[in-house]
Amino acid sequence: MDQLLTNFIRALRNADVRISTAETLDAFSTVQLVGYRDRQLLKDSLGLVLPKTPDEKAAFDTCFDQFFSFRERSPLPTSDEAPTADSAQPGNADAGGSGESQGQRTGQGEGANNSTQVAEGTSGAELLSGEMSAAQSALGQLLTRANTIEINMAISAAGQQVNVHEIELFTQKGVYTRRILEAMGHAELQQEIFTLTASDAIPDRHLAQDLGRRRDWLRERVRDHVEHQFLLHADVTGRRLRESLLRDLRLSTLEQRHHRLLQDLVQRMARKLVAAYSRRRKIFRRGQLHVPRTLRRNMKYDDAIFDLQWKSVKTDKPKVFAICDVSGSVANYARFMLMFLYSLEEVLPKVRSFAFSSDLGEVSDLFARNDIDDAIALALRQYGNGSTDYGQALADFRKLCLDDIDRRTTVIVLGDARNNYGDARTDVLKEIYDRARRVIWLNPEPRPMWNTGDSEMRHYSPYCHQVDECGTLTQLERVVSRLLQSQR
Amino acid sequence: MVDIPSIAASVSSLKQHLETHRYICSDQIATAVYLAYHLRKPVLIEGPPGVGKTELAKTTAEMFELPLIRLQCYEGLDEAKALYEWKYGKQLLYTQVLKQTLDEVLQGAKGFAESVKRLHEFGDIFFSEEFLEARPLLKALREERGCVLLIDEVDKSDHEFESLLLEILSDYQVSIPEIGTVKARHTPPLVFLTSNNTREISDALKRRCLHLYIPFPDIALEQRIVNARVPEIAPQLREQLVRFIHDLRELDLKKVPSISETIDWARTLLLLHADRLDSELVRNTMNVILKFQEDIESVQPELRSLTDKAVRS
Repeated sequence: MDQLLTNFIRALRNADVRISTAETLDAFSTVQLVGYRDRQLLKDSLGLVLPKTPDEKAAFDTCFDQFFSFRERSPLPTSDEAPTADSAQPGNADAGGSGESQGQRTGQGEGANNSTQVAEGTSGAELLSGEMSAAQSALGQLLTRANTIEINMAISAAGQQVNVHEIELFTQKGVYTRRILEAMGHAELQQEIFTLTASDAIPDRHLAQDLGRRRDWLRERVRDHVEHQFLLHADVTGRRLRESLLRDLRLSTLEQRHHRLLQDLVQRMARKLVAAYSRRRKIFRRGQLHVPRTLRRNMKYDDAIFDLQWKSVKTDKPKVFAICDVSGSVANYARFMLMFLYSLEEVLPKVRSFAFSSDLGEVSDLFARNDIDDAIALALRQYGNGSTDYGQALADFRKLCLDDIDRRTTVIVLGDARNNYGDARTDVLKEIYDRARRVIWLNPEPRPMWNTGDSEMRHYSPYCHQVDECGTLTQLERVVSRLLQSQR
Repeated sequence: MVDIPSIAASVSSLKQHLETHRYICSDQIATAVYLAYHLRKPVLIEGPPGVGKTELAKTTAEMFELPLIRLQCYEGLDEAKALYEWKYGKQLLYTQVLKQTLDEVLQGAKGFAESVKRLHEFGDIFFSEEFLEARPLLKALREERGCVLLIDEVDKSDHEFESLLLEILSDYQVSIPEIGTVKARHTPPLVFLTSNNTREISDALKRRCLHLYIPFPDIALEQRIVNARVPEIAPQLREQLVRFIHDLRELDLKKVPSISETIDWARTLLLLHADRLDSELVRNTMNVILKFQEDIESVQPELRSLTDKAVRS
């Protein structure tokens, strides 16, 4: 039983539910308390102990249902004479068990296979029914004997043979199912059914029908087995690989279907930054003795100084203004930068964002009201059409909030600076540059491409404290991290 | 006195007892209390505001007839307010009063070193339990029969405070430098933490807790809740108003109405002697369920169709 729980936890980890060793121990004591008998109770209980966020709970629910599928397995179809005692085997005996203790079973499984072959000569001759011929192939005999345990062992053994535990992607399920069936001698069975169907003798045709039903049943069984192995072993490696690739991929080339994964990645990177910088802030909180306040507070103690009051340094809450080009070419980068900035809410509480392609508008409200994903979509829809005009955008920005920019403000401009040969209005940028603490220009294009064609990078860069390339997530992370450092 | 172990003997018995205390809950919630009691683990409750997170702790205390000790978290909450503090005033007063005695004690002592030595013989009286002001967390550990400790809105507190909680939550003890470690008396408290998810709770804290997420209830459950809380309301009106609230939750609102708002609304309608919903009535009592002017305005145009839908179906 312990093995069963360990396997389940392993499957959960594969499904991206983070479970620590301590929680595993908790799960064991929980199971000891509630037992395996009441399925709903078990699910509710483990659902309290193992997953710790709503997302994880959803993953847990599906995982639990798949893993402990007490799905009524159709019992092995039996002909009248076939022994029925074994086929009534409760489904749960192998529901979790088929994955467990594989090694131990291999030996047995092979043993069983051997004995099957040995038995072929003797018991194979025994007729099952007056009207039905006996199966000739080994698999056919195994199936007609209808011993569920024996069949399960055969499946496990075959699985071992084809290394089903190396399954990594869900697309491989079919392949492995076929390989296991082949290893079990599916081809011979198929051949036998084929010849029997063609045969003139009625008992032969009966047998063919019977075997056909059993074969279908076996296929289902094997599919379940593979499914189970997939739950236990798959996906982790594939996911890691994808993630490490995504980090260094140019953001514009990403496909829609990667967005979800990427979002997780951004969130995780952001959390790391938050952890790093919120600790830092504490040091800045430490101060010197605040004499007046200490005296005032300690008056009630007859001026004996008990309760010391410290001067605390007010942490400078950094203000960040993000101006994002959301026209087609750069929209994807804007998406991820905004996602990054808003994921950092704890260390960067005051982010105001502006979006433009030709006209510029503030989109902070969208982010305050919606979750990040929707907000970005809305911003893109609202401002994303029209040809890029940096001059107009800068002028708009100036009109909108030049007065709000002060010594503590960092202005980030994200764009490729391709102005369609329009007026660059560098004078506005200079004005911003003079007032703000920092002006950072992030350009998603690779450096060699800057200043070619209609790019105005050459004219803008003198009025920026920092000019950076931010084509990939790794670069973006570096920039944001530096932004947090410079805040001190 | 109630027999706590027999109440907590099974999930269904817990659920039943919670219901007699007018807290209608799903199996999952009852399971959480069951596990919390048997495994002696704190429960971290998350969910939208107003679904009865705090209420669960209160009802549990009521059900077990245990004292409820509540610690409301806020930004800047520190150990002096949550755990313990020295009674500075008392210490000072005693030194003043005991001046005479001190003089006697020190009489004949030669030099500073000897005085200090003599004082040492009296031990750290001023830093003993008598001068310790217990704050909620320490108080909870010292309760003789055990208690229910509610740490409300833990997400509002700082990171540092969360770390402070870790020792209490995992070992039911606190370390006070001057005295040593204070352990819970023989029954450790049942701890409930609530969070509105304004920020992510640290993994270390989550790991030590059972995690219960209370979502909005389904229609049937919410009807039973309203029935338990406002039993006087007519069944027809109850059905209509719960359906209306559920439709409202589907809309894009700044703050969706929660169970507490449903109950408030039911009470309001009862007060107005209403026996069925109509759009005029809903319009006039809108401010009970929607707390933002924006929301009220955005719902206004759809009011009639929403009401009709709730009344008809």
